[in-house]
Amino acid sequence: MSINLKLFGDLRIKAEPNVSGTLPLRLKIDDSEIMWVADILRKFKIEDSEVSHIFVNGRYAGFKKRVKPGDTVSLFPRNMGLLYKWYFKREEDE
Amino acid sequence: MNNLEAKFEDLPSDYAALGGRGMTSTIVAKEVPPTCNPLGIHNKIVFAPGIVTGTAAPSSGRLSVGGKSPLTGGIKEANAGTPFAQMLARMRIGAIIVEGKHQGDDYYLLKVTMDGGEFIKANKWSGKGLYGVYKDLSKEFGSKVGICGVGIAAELLGAMSGVCFNDPEGLPSRYAGRGGLGAVMASKGLKFIIVDETGAPGVEIADQEVFKVGIKKLRDALTTHDVTKPGGALNSYGTAVLVNIINEAGGLPQRNFSAGRDERAEKVSGEAKAEEIKKRGGTRPHYCNPGCIIQCSEIWVKPGNKDPVGVLEYESVWALGPNSGIYNLDDIGELNRACNDLGCDTIEAGDTIAVAMEGGLVNFGDGKGALKLMDEIRKKTPTGKILANGTEITGKVLGVTRIPTVKGQGLPAYDPRAIKGIGVTFATTPMGADHTAGYAIAPEILGVGGTLDPMDPKKAEVSRNLQLATAAVDATGYCLFIAFAVLDIPEGLEGVVESLNGVLGTNLTVNDVAPIGKSIIDIELEFNKKAGFTSLHDRLPEMFLEEKLPPHNTVFDVSDSDLDSVF
Repeated sequence: MSINLKLFGDLRIKAEPNVSGTLPLRLKIDDSEIMWVADILRKFKIEDSEVSHIFVNGRYAGFKKRVKPGDTVSLFPRNMGLLYKWYFKREEDE
Repeated sequence: MNNLEAKFEDLPSDYAALGGRGMTSTIVAKEVPPTCNPLGIHNKIVFAPGIVTGTAAPSSGRLSVGGKSPLTGGIKEANAGTPFAQMLARMRIGAIIVEGKHQGDDYYLLKVTMDGGEFIKANKWSGKGLYGVYKDLSKEFGSKVGICGVGIAAELLGAMSGVCFNDPEGLPSRYAGRGGLGAVMASKGLKFIIVDETGAPGVEIADQEVFKVGIKKLRDALTTHDVTKPGGALNSYGTAVLVNIINEAGGLPQRNFSAGRDERAEKVSGEAKAEEIKKRGGTRPHYCNPGCIIQCSEIWVKPGNKDPVGVLEYESVWALGPNSGIYNLDDIGELNRACNDLGCDTIEAGDTIAVAMEGGLVNFGDGKGALKLMDEIRKKTPTGKILANGTEITGKVLGVTRIPTVKGQGLPAYDPRAIKGIGVTFATTPMGADHTAGYAIAPEILGVGGTLDPMDPKKAEVSRNLQLATAAVDATGYCLFIAFAVLDIPEGLEGVVESLNGVLGTNLTVNDVAPIGKSIIDIELEFNKKAGFTSLHDRLPEMFLEEKLPPHNTVFDVSDSDLDSVF
């Protein structure tokens, strides 16, 4: 089973430089070395500062959130951050 | 309105430091009997610009409208950003109070200039859509006037009717929408207020130096923060940037609050809308009033840059879109146009349409059918009269048991089962279900502890402090969205307080923000108590307690005692 990744807005070009339209880019990741949200960012050369909101299975999460096959990870770019960062604490496992 | 008289009165000294919501709620509480019929002779409708409105302070063109709400039966404040607000403030008008009730069937327009107020018969504009009427008014009174008006929904005395202000292009798209205040205005025989600021002296500023230092700090914060700066979230995508965020969080209500996520919502996201506006030649970004740095507004148009609508806000897109099972921006745009044209609050209209869909009037997802429902209001049919009275009445008439309201007001675009703190605010605010009653002021700034897990039901303290801070911001005239910047940049918050001190000649500090908010909320709670409200009204409907919301399959499990501990 894969990890389901959804990249929103400008983050989509990190995985698909010629992406068009506005729908989120959906990818499946099969990589046994990916254990944390931070590993996904590294895989796509995304800096922490380029990300605003992270959701793992719809839960507001941080870089240190564990991920496993079957999870859905959604990443929003810095210029799409609104509301969550100011209200809620990111769920993290470490 | 009894005798069509308008006069200027000096502001009482104890009102001198009030503005916006502080002014409207104080006047309503003092002058309106809490048990009066909201559409009767004893209710009043009050218009008040904020403390810094009309000055050079950035993003400060807000105006509060207050009265007793025909939708909730309690006190109401709704606010809007509009040039009308700035003009009123520059004329040094602290508030317009409309009282009494004109006997007979005539409608009037009140024209306000530096020389006074004049009533003009406005029957020729009744029964007509506001897009055409606002064009006529601009032709007749000049393109530089500020326009306030109510539409056909208000003529029906419908509790979903809002008070509509012009945007800088003259479009009828800036609404103090919630609570049916449009019906209050129409009930008095007043259809429009035109403000002509020719010769206005400008806002009196007690200490220019303090004021200038303050607004520079705030401007610096707004222009550097990721949410508020040019190219930031609000500027790039508008408030609808939240569609995809809340959908991912599982809190974007779909089909009358039956689910919290649907992939089809991605088709009506802020990104999709911004892209479409660009393709069509509409305008984005755009400001709702001159001097706004954030510029979250826009002008949505039909293909070919035709028939401008104005802004499609997040809550409007949600209400007229996913909550009605509609995932098509053109349908949403036309429904928003219908709301603006008829003078309807988009949130209440969307909730009403969704309940009507559940009741079988049209099917979920039927955008054209939803437009036909709005036409029932336009034609003033019996069905239209029911719909114009909002979610709760429509649901009851149609035998719908899943009616998402608190104190009679339809819930906005955040499902309280997935985001429980806002559910506490929906339940407990004196306004009825209102997201803006406790929005966007950071818990940290108020010294609130706790885990702040969105699923954690322990939210009473957070909600209380958010509501107090929001009430204070609503009094200033600043847009609530400045909060994101001033949270992260302490100098920005200092700047806000210094700008208030500059205008008022006071020595307020950051620590005074919450007490100012508390004094406003206390006034509002007292009014509602006298109007018959008890803690039993501070509850969400049973559907949120009993039905699990996919995808998280959670219910709203905040205890009654926690809700009661908010105030």
